[in-house]
Amino acid sequence: MSGKAFLVDTTKCSGCRACQVSCKQWNNLPGEKTTFFAGPEYTNPAELSAITFNHVKFFPIDRTNPEKTIWTIMHKKCYHCEEANCLRVCPEGAISKVEGWVVIDQSKCIGCGACVNECVYKVPHVLNENTPLYGKEGFIKKDKSYKCHACISENRRAVPLCAQHCPTGALTFGDRTALIKRAQARVKQVSADFPHANLYGLEQYGGLRTLTILKDEPEKYGLPRVGKAIDLRRAEAIKDAYHLFAMFTFGLPSLKRVAYKISRSLMG
Amino acid sequence: MPVSRRDFLKLSGMTAAGSFVGGASFLTGCKSASKLRGTKESTTICPYCGVGCGLIVSSRDGKVINTEGDPDHPINHGALCAKGSALFQVAVNERRLKKVQYRKPFGTEWEEISWEEAYKRIARRVKDARDATFQEKDGDVTVNRTPGIASIGGAALDNEECYVLSKFMRTLGVTYLEHQARICHSATVAGLAASFGRGAMTNHWIDIKNADVIFMIGSNAAENHPASYRWILKAIEDRGAKLVVIDPRFTKSASMAHVYAPLRPGTDLAFLGGIINYALEKNLIQKEYVLEYTNAAYLVNPDFKFNDGLFSGYDGGKRNYGDRKSWTYQMDAKKMPKRDKSLKDPHCVYQLMKTHYSRYTPEMVEKVTGCPRDKFLKVAEIFCSTHKPNKVATIMYAMGITQHTVGTQNVRALAILQLLMGNMGLAGGGINALRGESNVQGSTDHALLFHIMPGYLPAPSSKDHSTLAAYNNTTPKTEDPMSVNWWSNRPKYLVSMLKAWYGDAATKKNDFCYDWLPKFSKPSPYIVLFEDMLKGVMKGAFFMGTNPIVGGPNANRNAQAIEKLDWLVAVDLWETDSSIFWNRPGANPATIKTEVFLLPAASSVEKEGSVSNSGRWAQWRYKAVEAPGPEKTRGKSDLDILNTLFLMLRDMYKKEGGKFPDPILKANWNYVPEGEHEASPHLVAKEINGYTWPDKGQMKTFMDLKDDGSTACGNWIYCGSYPGSSKNLMARRGLDDASNNIGMYPEWAWCWPLNRRIIYNRAAVNRKGEPWDVDRWVVKWTGSKWKGDIVDGGPKAGPQAKNPFIMNNEGVGRLFSPGKALADGPFTEHYEPMESPVANLFNSQKVNPAAKIIDEVRGQFAQIGQYPCVATSYRVVEHWQAGAMTRNLPWLNELVPDMFCEISPSLAAARGIKNGDRVAINNARGTIRAYALVTERMQPLMINGKPVEMIGMIWHFGHGCAATGDACNQLTPSIGDANTMIPEFKAFLADIRKEA
Repeated sequence: MSGKAFLVDTTKCSGCRACQVSCKQWNNLPGEKTTFFAGPEYTNPAELSAITFNHVKFFPIDRTNPEKTIWTIMHKKCYHCEEANCLRVCPEGAISKVEGWVVIDQSKCIGCGACVNECVYKVPHVLNENTPLYGKEGFIKKDKSYKCHACISENRRAVPLCAQHCPTGALTFGDRTALIKRAQARVKQVSADFPHANLYGLEQYGGLRTLTILKDEPEKYGLPRVGKAIDLRRAEAIKDAYHLFAMFTFGLPSLKRVAYKISRSLMG
Repeated sequence: MPVSRRDFLKLSGMTAAGSFVGGASFLTGCKSASKLRGTKESTTICPYCGVGCGLIVSSRDGKVINTEGDPDHPINHGALCAKGSALFQVAVNERRLKKVQYRKPFGTEWEEISWEEAYKRIARRVKDARDATFQEKDGDVTVNRTPGIASIGGAALDNEECYVLSKFMRTLGVTYLEHQARICHSATVAGLAASFGRGAMTNHWIDIKNADVIFMIGSNAAENHPASYRWILKAIEDRGAKLVVIDPRFTKSASMAHVYAPLRPGTDLAFLGGIINYALEKNLIQKEYVLEYTNAAYLVNPDFKFNDGLFSGYDGGKRNYGDRKSWTYQMDAKKMPKRDKSLKDPHCVYQLMKTHYSRYTPEMVEKVTGCPRDKFLKVAEIFCSTHKPNKVATIMYAMGITQHTVGTQNVRALAILQLLMGNMGLAGGGINALRGESNVQGSTDHALLFHIMPGYLPAPSSKDHSTLAAYNNTTPKTEDPMSVNWWSNRPKYLVSMLKAWYGDAATKKNDFCYDWLPKFSKPSPYIVLFEDMLKGVMKGAFFMGTNPIVGGPNANRNAQAIEKLDWLVAVDLWETDSSIFWNRPGANPATIKTEVFLLPAASSVEKEGSVSNSGRWAQWRYKAVEAPGPEKTRGKSDLDILNTLFLMLRDMYKKEGGKFPDPILKANWNYVPEGEHEASPHLVAKEINGYTWPDKGQMKTFMDLKDDGSTACGNWIYCGSYPGSSKNLMARRGLDDASNNIGMYPEWAWCWPLNRRIIYNRAAVNRKGEPWDVDRWVVKWTGSKWKGDIVDGGPKAGPQAKNPFIMNNEGVGRLFSPGKALADGPFTEHYEPMESPVANLFNSQKVNPAAKIIDEVRGQFAQIGQYPCVATSYRVVEHWQAGAMTRNLPWLNELVPDMFCEISPSLAAARGIKNGDRVAINNARGTIRAYALVTERMQPLMINGKPVEMIGMIWHFGHGCAATGDACNQLTPSIGDANTMIPEFKAFLADIRKEA
């Protein structure tokens, strides 16, 4: 697996959340309405959403080792799986690979939520209502699925702004092979402080394009240790059923979504 | 020949260029981004904290399209924090003011008026207030001051604006002149100046990478200066540096530390005294450095005594050290301080210190601070490992050190430690006072404070400086041939400043108009200023980008004080909590008389000028676009507003006469270039730099300033920043490092003094001129000249000829701070905060015996046991200071939308509070509401055998702006440090309960 990748190094994250804001700035995404904090510590909003493509989660501190209190603060965005469930299940072929990145084409998306259901990382989200862009004319259309596109959209960047803005080097962008090499050296370097440190994303779903250096075992952070893409045959069966029903939906997205739901319950 | 982006900027960096019209992304490097197509790009500096990160602003058709980190900037290399990343929402925001807002007396809403009308009315109010309250004499002394007007704020203004504000107010006679620096780092200036002679951060951000140990106390840099962690992590990764974080809470900064040590708020002196004792006991000091470069060997007056928390000369009735005659050196026949280089004389500073600090045992540290003994010892061991000549620790600190009744002494303790370790002047060393506002260094340099004038010249007081001769009599003197005693040049700097202010009117015959400067009779720091406002002393006030009813101590009281004003002029980007004080919860606008003018200001990307970061780098910002709104009504730069107001006042005095019109009529005031309509920051910057008089040749160095009226210089420490008529060194973008290759980047921007990147760098070498560490040398002596950084104290004198601390009249660093440098003692001593849960175990004084207690608020201070929890305040990365610059930004409000406090699970359990509950926090000054964040990062501390719980609060919130919440500062006490009256925001008492 060659090409570019992101590397998240949780041992260097200070939780400044420049990534979360920078993404909104470059992509003209609005802020979300929140109250207090939606997750542990300073986490806000609770998770990624259709208008939040980068998210920082603060885990509760771990005081088991009296010599070294661990506070994990973790950046999360789309993992851009090599074998991506979302891509496999999208009935309209709206999700594709562009230079290795998993990208949703909203002009094809019907908002059926297949990608939302099948992503174990809970990355893509369907927008419920038309939402004005910030600082730019126009709307983000409802009933479409959205997530990180690694800035290879029309507003393409050499280095996505989330990675460029990271002040500590906790989020970097570059050649995947080189990043892996660097990450493996880093895991060794921090092993005295974090004996269970590991690099996540080498194997899962055929390999991820957002790699993460974790301070502890993946399960502690809600990440599946083993990630296997869904059975292609099952996905194809759902899609076949959907295409059959879709003939009677008159091209209406709302009916298409119903058609997908029926197909899924029949074939799933 | 193709020129790379970087080369192009280097070539153009000397001029005012910095704005590029061209295809997308000359600077950003995003060639194919459609959003940047056809944009104009310009560089700027982040308007939030004092790190001074660079940004690129892209605009099209007069609208900002994108803001992002400047990849070439040597400090941030293109990175930013959440606030910097959100700068776009300052420029593009529907809450921005597009017209002047006016609130008539007893009015219930804003009305819109034109700029012309606003200027006219404000000038009238100012003139009337000045003429009605002007005082020419106090007894026999000419004071020429205007007590009827106050000016507050300025840390977010550009240098040129701060300078003009300082000059404008003082020309009017204003002595109630204060701003954010008083309440954030005034203790730094006092503590560092009393130790080394200057009050600024000694090194700079990039230099942190050169440290072996990073000692962070009273700072949460990960939260408040995020870009600094880039350099901390580099030191850890590249050099194996150790990071030690000492803080009451387990913070983001602590999460990356090798050792985290907790302590109770307000006990820093016990902790630091413990380390001083550890170093002296175990003889872990840099002996050669201590002998040569500090006053360890100096003999102190045998009358100097210390007993039960009191130094000799204390006046219990007046609560001050009126008699500090014993806080002096023994002098020999040649008027030189006596020394004992064997360090055995019982009166030498070293022996006095050993005795004084012997009480600060690890046991006492644990009992008082609550820091477990083994943690304390681990910290002491790591820090003292840098006593070796080639090992260096940097100290990073901020408000956790300064905002105490012992704030100045906290800073002193850090200074003592760094002198003992021999860490001052070295790369990777120094004392790094982390500044929290983009230009609070500059606003302090330009003296928006009652007690100083630009360049740290003392402001004239009626008591000490009745005439120019009296003023100059206080010039520091020395007989020591080894001492440079740089302050002996002070008369030249003062006369040059007077010449810059009063031009042709200032002549030798009239003492260069010295008497035109207002003289204060009573110190009026921030707290006193507001107490006087509450008494109705002032008729009107200016708030220049400041929000005192959120940011000041005892905030309810500040709001009541503002109600006593006849008029208020607030200049800001939008409505702030303070400018709509008349509409705050609980207030009845119909009973509030204050007339309010809210003038729309241009933001940092809508004007041009320089800002000085924490490391003293003055960096130039460019104007990308105009302020939003129609041309006739939109916001203006503070500089242009002040200039227009001044010229209008001058017209009025010309036509109508009035009290002592001379300074207003005759001031040297020419800031609008011929044929233009707006005041130019370049003209101001050139005056600040200084020029020959009358032919206006730009000065190159302050060494050429004269006291005969032949030179004019607005601020001597900035002399050299603009040394040619089109040579603005603050705009430089050169990226070549100096020959020592330690990351000083001397061709990037300009740094005071004289582009010296590390101050006290003469102490970076031994007496032979050899660097203490050859691998990261700062300067070295070749036998005939200095190499590396611009050496402190002039290039001619070699290392054996002069002592390194050139701003102290003895030329060495002060372990013992003699004379009148400090109000509360030559050594540090632990006292409890004004409000403390326990008695003082070190002595029978409760609070700092020299801290001034204001009678009017005496009854508000809680006694032991009255409120059970220690409360403290702090900030989060997503918001900035009093919140006006962040609580209107939706991206930041998404992250931290509400006022919250942090408590431990044990306190939460005791009060039946769950995470996310609404709670009320109260004490004698008020009750506030907040959400409770219950976290294990907060833990009770065992203080002398008993657990003490803490309540931590953010202080960004208030009831103006888009995101609202109660202001923490409604609970903080009106008590300040003994030297500067910096308020004790960081340790007070309160209780907490679940809201019904």
